[in-house]
Amino acid sequence: MSTRQMKLGLFLWATGHHIAAWRHPDAHVTAGIDIDHCIKLARTAEAAKFDMVFCEDAAGLREANVNIASQTSRSIGFEPISLLSALAAQTERIGLVSTASTSYNEPYGLARMFASLDNLSGGRAGWNLVTSASPIEAANFGATGLRPHADRYARAREFATVVTGLWNRRAAGHDGESFSVRDRLDIPPSPQGAPVMVQAGASDDGKDLAARTADVVFSAAQTFEEAKAFYDDLKARLAAYGRQPDDVKIMPGVAPIVAATKAEAQAKYDALQELIPDDVGVALLSSYLSISDLGRYPIDGPLPELPESEGMKSRQALVIEQARRDGLSIRELARYFAGARGHWRVVGTAGEIADELQARFEGGAADGFNVMPSWFPGELDAFAKLVVPELQRRGLFRKDYEGRTLREHLGLKRPV
Amino acid sequence: MGRHMHLAVSLNIAAADGQDVLDFGQISAFVRDLEAAGVDMAIISDSAEAPSSSPFEATTLLAALAAVTDSIGLVASASTLAHQPYNLARRFASLDIISHGRIGWNATLAQNPREAANFSRPEGFSDDDFRRRAKEFINIVRRLWIGWSRDALLFDKASGRFHDPEKMHPMNFTGEFFSVRGPLNVARSPQDRPLLVMSGLKQADLDFAIRADVVLLDKRQPPEARAACEEIKRRAHEAGRDPRTIKMLAVADARQERDGGSLKALCLSSGCDGIVLTVQPRADALKDFVERLLPDLEQHGFAKAKPGRTLRDRLGLDEDGRS
Repeated sequence: MSTRQMKLGLFLWATGHHIAAWRHPDAHVTAGIDIDHCIKLARTAEAAKFDMVFCEDAAGLREANVNIASQTSRSIGFEPISLLSALAAQTERIGLVSTASTSYNEPYGLARMFASLDNLSGGRAGWNLVTSASPIEAANFGATGLRPHADRYARAREFATVVTGLWNRRAAGHDGESFSVRDRLDIPPSPQGAPVMVQAGASDDGKDLAARTADVVFSAAQTFEEAKAFYDDLKARLAAYGRQPDDVKIMPGVAPIVAATKAEAQAKYDALQELIPDDVGVALLSSYLSISDLGRYPIDGPLPELPESEGMKSRQALVIEQARRDGLSIRELARYFAGARGHWRVVGTAGEIADELQARFEGGAADGFNVMPSWFPGELDAFAKLVVPELQRRGLFRKDYEGRTLREHLGLKRPV
Repeated sequence: MGRHMHLAVSLNIAAADGQDVLDFGQISAFVRDLEAAGVDMAIISDSAEAPSSSPFEATTLLAALAAVTDSIGLVASASTLAHQPYNLARRFASLDIISHGRIGWNATLAQNPREAANFSRPEGFSDDDFRRRAKEFINIVRRLWIGWSRDALLFDKASGRFHDPEKMHPMNFTGEFFSVRGPLNVARSPQDRPLLVMSGLKQADLDFAIRADVVLLDKRQPPEARAACEEIKRRAHEAGRDPRTIKMLAVADARQERDGGSLKALCLSSGCDGIVLTVQPRADALKDFVERLLPDLEQHGFAKAKPGRTLRDRLGLDEDGRS
């Protein structure tokens, strides 16, 4: 049995991570308004000994085009800190991690909310710091009266410094560029000392902020090489902040589809792909490729000739090239993108999925994975029933919790 | 008299002094005792003039309490300085969905001087600015709560239409202090709007109080409270609202009350619809309240409302879909 074991997070998101998940015949379509459903999912993950449940968040709608938005289930859901506080009372061991923005909160208020969640759960809380770039969110906070700031990462750095200072009882009083705080935090620490700090920024600024402050980093990587490059890059940045490689756990997202046979798993995936409405798929592809008018080309035809654009990233260029080489139609390419959302998709048997996870874990490309079931509850149930026991059998994942707090699950030091 | 006298219990977890702070087990056991005795709602607040050592913040505590209770109303205080209107509206709409329609927001028009200093406003707010800003904030939150029509969610797997795009309404608000486009990314909640509970009202705020579902009349003697009740109900009537749909509760301190009879007298002489008893956040105070005062209050006709489908039902308030 290997001594090092992988960490697993359950990325909880509405009806599921596939864009058309809610249309699956067995998907729980009212997930965004059903607390009992969410409790059940968290308990499933806890019974499978997952390290944490993770909730994404945005302070606004995710899609500006109301026609496209109305064909997805992503416009409504629970505010995650409330959701996780309710889950804290209905679970015993699993970590509870919520996203919250440094652009639309104040550090004193956010420090209080997460400290309270940490106490309610007996030391199981974590905060996923995001800086929020979406103009849809910005319009909900148009004239906040907050101080103007040069850039959102400068604000985020100051925000994180103030929050961790409050949690760790450093000297009271802060008067900085964006924030001022007079008192110490009026909420005492939980059994884990302070909530776990999580981040997912992939930009240079994002990785640097993560190296400075994060305990856990979520990432998105399709290939082993991409995952490995991100992993090495981030771990190499830690020394500059006096930190050890093991102080930060890197957990890429994985979107598995598992079944008893490879053919069965592939059929499950194909059936989901069929449920993606054409205009939704094309709209998502258009925005990914930064092309505004893809909808006016024949959907069963090839991608049109596209001018080289400034905003196009190298990976997008590779995608276009591959689509041409494989002779994919716009519809085929659109479905491919809409389904995976840029994350790593693995379709196969429990053994095959375990092989893939093991290769990245042992190959130095991941410390664990943030599991993104395609639809709930079915694909979570399947992962818990088929893949988790296979990982346990190989000694790659725990058979029972070693500790009580999220820091203990993750093998993290207490904050100083 | 034919009508019920409502009973609410207010627990300020930040009012603890010394080391004797309540843990979640003690608070949830207390709230379940209140629930079993038929108390209409528990009001949790977490703000005091001096820093407390309570381990909880009120809205997160409320979510956890919602998960371990079934019928009691749950209200949390949340400050207009500590939150942004969009975030606060989302949080309470979510709490209302989590609790199946048992939630209220206690919005106070009284400023806690500690808050501005910790929320990047070292210069503070004048009392007048604070109240004007709080009123704008409350109006935004009330509108965000009804940004989705009741029948907006279609869940139609076959046609591929999750919601009706015509039934999602941005508010596009720009005011003196805030600008908010909306709509919320949380569904319409079971009560349409969580209850709006107002406190800290001055004479000059009474016209604003006609937006409230419940008004807490604190720091008032019975004749003064009666005058305020009559004034708010008269203004509600003039504004075209049924005055019976605003419930007035007189605030009393459980430490000073010996029996249910005197509280019944207070309720009647104040012209109120019920009372709120503030209980000290100490284990012995909770025990004393549940064992001694609560049974006597029941004897005197308090806490007799039938649990409704929602807190609005229970208090005899209308569904609040007005815009």
